[in-house]
Amino acid sequence: MISRVWAWAFLGSLIIFFVISVQITTDGRVNFLTIRNSQNILVAITPVLLLGLGQTLVIIGAGIDLSVGWVMSLASVLSALALRAAFNSGLPLFLSVVIGFLAAVVGAGFVGFLNGVIIAKLKVPAFIVTLGSSFIVRGVALLLSENTTVIGLPRGVRNYGNDALIYWIQGEGGGLYFLKRPDVTGDLLRRMNIILPYPVVLTAIVVGIIVFVLRKTQFGRHTYAIGGNLEAALRTGIPVDRHLISLYVLSSVTAGIAGFLSTLRFTAGSAVIGDALLLSSIAAVIIGGVSLFGGAGTVMGTVIGSLIIAVLTTGLVMLNVQAFWQFIVVGTVVILAVLIDQSRDLIIGRMNTG
Amino acid sequence: MEPMLSIKNMVKRFGGLVAVNDVSLDVYPGEVVALLGDNGAGKSTLIKCVSGVYHADEGEVYFEGQLVRFSRPIEARRHGIETIYQDLALANNLDVGSNIFLGREVKKRYLGGLIRTLDNDFMLQQSQMALDSLGIHFPDLTQPIESLSGGQRQAVAIARAVYWDAKLMIMDEPTNNLGVPEQRKVLDTIRTLRERGVPIILISHTLPDIFAVSDRLIVMHRGRKVTEKKISETNTQEIVQYMVGALDDTREQ
Amino acid sequence: MRKTIFLLLIVLLIVPLTSIVVTSQDDTLVIGFLPGVVDPFYQVMQLGVEAAAADMGVEVVTQIPETWGVQVQTPILDAMIARGDIDYLVIAPTDKDQMIGPLQAAVDAGIRIITVDTFLGDGDYTNGPVTFPISYIGSDNVEGGRISARGLAEAIGGSGKVYINSTNPNVSSVEGRAVGFNEVMDNEYPDIEVVALDFNLDDLNTATTQTAAQLEVHPDLAGIFGTNVFSAQGAGTAVINAGLGGEVQVVAYDATQFAIEQLREGTVSLVLAQKPFDMGYMAVQFAVADAAGVTSLPRRVETGFAIIDIDNVDDPEVARFIYQVP
Repeated sequence: MISRVWAWAFLGSLIIFFVISVQITTDGRVNFLTIRNSQNILVAITPVLLLGLGQTLVIIGAGIDLSVGWVMSLASVLSALALRAAFNSGLPLFLSVVIGFLAAVVGAGFVGFLNGVIIAKLKVPAFIVTLGSSFIVRGVALLLSENTTVIGLPRGVRNYGNDALIYWIQGEGGGLYFLKRPDVTGDLLRRMNIILPYPVVLTAIVVGIIVFVLRKTQFGRHTYAIGGNLEAALRTGIPVDRHLISLYVLSSVTAGIAGFLSTLRFTAGSAVIGDALLLSSIAAVIIGGVSLFGGAGTVMGTVIGSLIIAVLTTGLVMLNVQAFWQFIVVGTVVILAVLIDQSRDLIIGRMNTG
Repeated sequence: MEPMLSIKNMVKRFGGLVAVNDVSLDVYPGEVVALLGDNGAGKSTLIKCVSGVYHADEGEVYFEGQLVRFSRPIEARRHGIETIYQDLALANNLDVGSNIFLGREVKKRYLGGLIRTLDNDFMLQQSQMALDSLGIHFPDLTQPIESLSGGQRQAVAIARAVYWDAKLMIMDEPTNNLGVPEQRKVLDTIRTLRERGVPIILISHTLPDIFAVSDRLIVMHRGRKVTEKKISETNTQEIVQYMVGALDDTREQ
Repeated sequence: MRKTIFLLLIVLLIVPLTSIVVTSQDDTLVIGFLPGVVDPFYQVMQLGVEAAAADMGVEVVTQIPETWGVQVQTPILDAMIARGDIDYLVIAPTDKDQMIGPLQAAVDAGIRIITVDTFLGDGDYTNGPVTFPISYIGSDNVEGGRISARGLAEAIGGSGKVYINSTNPNVSSVEGRAVGFNEVMDNEYPDIEVVALDFNLDDLNTATTQTAAQLEVHPDLAGIFGTNVFSAQGAGTAVINAGLGGEVQVVAYDATQFAIEQLREGTVSLVLAQKPFDMGYMAVQFAVADAAGVTSLPRRVETGFAIIDIDNVDDPEVARFIYQVP
């Protein structure tokens, strides 16, 4: 498996660069590497990472899913509508949130199922199917959303999207709190670290599940086999069509979870929330070393790819550099990532034939 | 003795072209039958009609005495007919064990089968045994097989067929594109299989290879079977004459 | 099987298309309405346009781009020109420079232009670089920025650090808001420092990440100005995320129902309402007047603001400016 040593090194040097440069530009007043900022970065990667996770599965299987960003938007709208309807019909808040989650996952999964069936059974290229469905999904999301933003969600929803496992107030009068936001104001509030917000926890669980599936199960093995040599997969009797459909369903479902989380975070459904995220998610996957030809790549690679993007966004804002620079750096890293992988493959290739 | 595989009067047409024309042949347990002929002689088409890739227009195939008709390659494999193509059926990004067990992975069960993980240790150990039994040795079975040589990959494919109890093996040009030492290894493996009683249909251009390992040979020319001889009763020159169409047993002399 | 599914797909696609039939009478005035993007602000404006059209007996053709941007708005504009039946166009240009060319083409095709909400060039259609539109009807965004600045300054007690989160550069509306905001802070509040201005490119996630990062650099940040609903929503979410709801004051431009919801929850401290209904209504009035031969129409009309906070949000006099879309 292709190692990602250089990507870790790049991420490390990026962090070191920001630690030093943020110190310099703020006259030593601000530290880039604080608990709070690490949490900011983790929160910032969740949407890109969730989209990237599904994309990783699909690309390892030698496919592509261009619809993820818009599926996320649709899921955000669906979950908000379902959550609101459930709550207004008298269900308790927690149950309403669960119903919102199911609406997002089932709605998104349905789109993935259609993508998968058309790709696997009707043999239409994935690029075209998911491009087409991204437009359809976008239209449906806007139509359903009542003016792009679904509002009127119960107030407590905000807590699900923004509360955390651990709260830690450093220094005098502080302390450690679990699961419950301490009721403090002023200076204490400013010193409070919010550690592991629920969206981060849920995303981490999804990462864990997908790592397990890819590395330990037959499903994962077959995903690599299909991406590595479709012919071989067919000849050895792997149910390729069914497997491809599952991959597209999973891709949409992770996008659906991203949509659900954004509904919780912003206390509103948004029909445009995922629009800007497709290319970032593919960039994260490529930086992470997933080959667009299929058959190679890991989830941890995608995690690093997403981290690099999020560290860049946060760091550049802290340096007061326009966020546009982020695009330039990310673009450069994407191309470098592929160049490095190719040259390493070349070297390995020479070693084998030599 | 009853033949393992029996092809009777097979015909396959592609439009106006008759690719296989009324061919019959038998393969008995423990023998290596070579199938040879020029490019376009129809040997690959014949084999693909047996392995389920193509469907014959006329004629029958009997396997272990029963009439069979495979609509897909996987059905032929389930009956124990394994076709070994160079590179075609291996996933180069996976390791040896994964390839030998591809599509038939062994799993460990947890929580009453709710969670099933791959039993990689078991598969690795079994793979090692399968390779050992063929006298094949690799330094490291956990590397993706793209790091192996062509001959080694061929060996993996053969080991897979052996492990899953192939009853008949069809090898399509197994020594093509291999270096001389590698070719020799593949031929050794074929001899090992023969000793174990697995019948083999060997498609090849390389006459010395055929004479080295086969019991019988069948020559095809323009879709027809022009001769069938025991290795001990013929020689290279005669076979070449059959291959170019200068000799033909079906023609009135 | 494959064929059947394909056939079904084609039928599904064609049936809704055939139900769209374009009709137009010859003698009534036809007004095209092309706002910037689908959002509550422009939807309320559309209500104004439609109300005026009903009152004055003219026909309205509305096309709403689903995303903000020249590249989306221009093709729709070209299509409206190509219809050939449109006499007046009420448009919110998505870029004050780039939309000049496409709108000049509309003028060349005989269409008269009224810009609403956003303008072309510098907005001065008498002496400025662009003079072909009849009028600009909108809020004085610079003034809106000034009002927002005073509101925020009051909310944070006249001193501290503030930050601006905006959408895109070179859009006359949000640019003017930032200009007015900075001007007031510079001139009237010496103890308030504007520490940064970020562009979120209309992406909610980006707005949140940027604000979170600014809160890191300036842990003592006192207030944030979101130059539109998205920006304020993203900024407010970052504040909530940091547990600083109520501690860091957020001013939101535009009184969408969502902004009001955030105001009631305490995410946002002040909401500045524009008057999009008036803009739409007036634009149609101007078109009808121009068609009737009136030549003394003002080249620039400012529709004013309402400031909404938690104390007056339930006052019906103020609440009627909340953007209510049926």
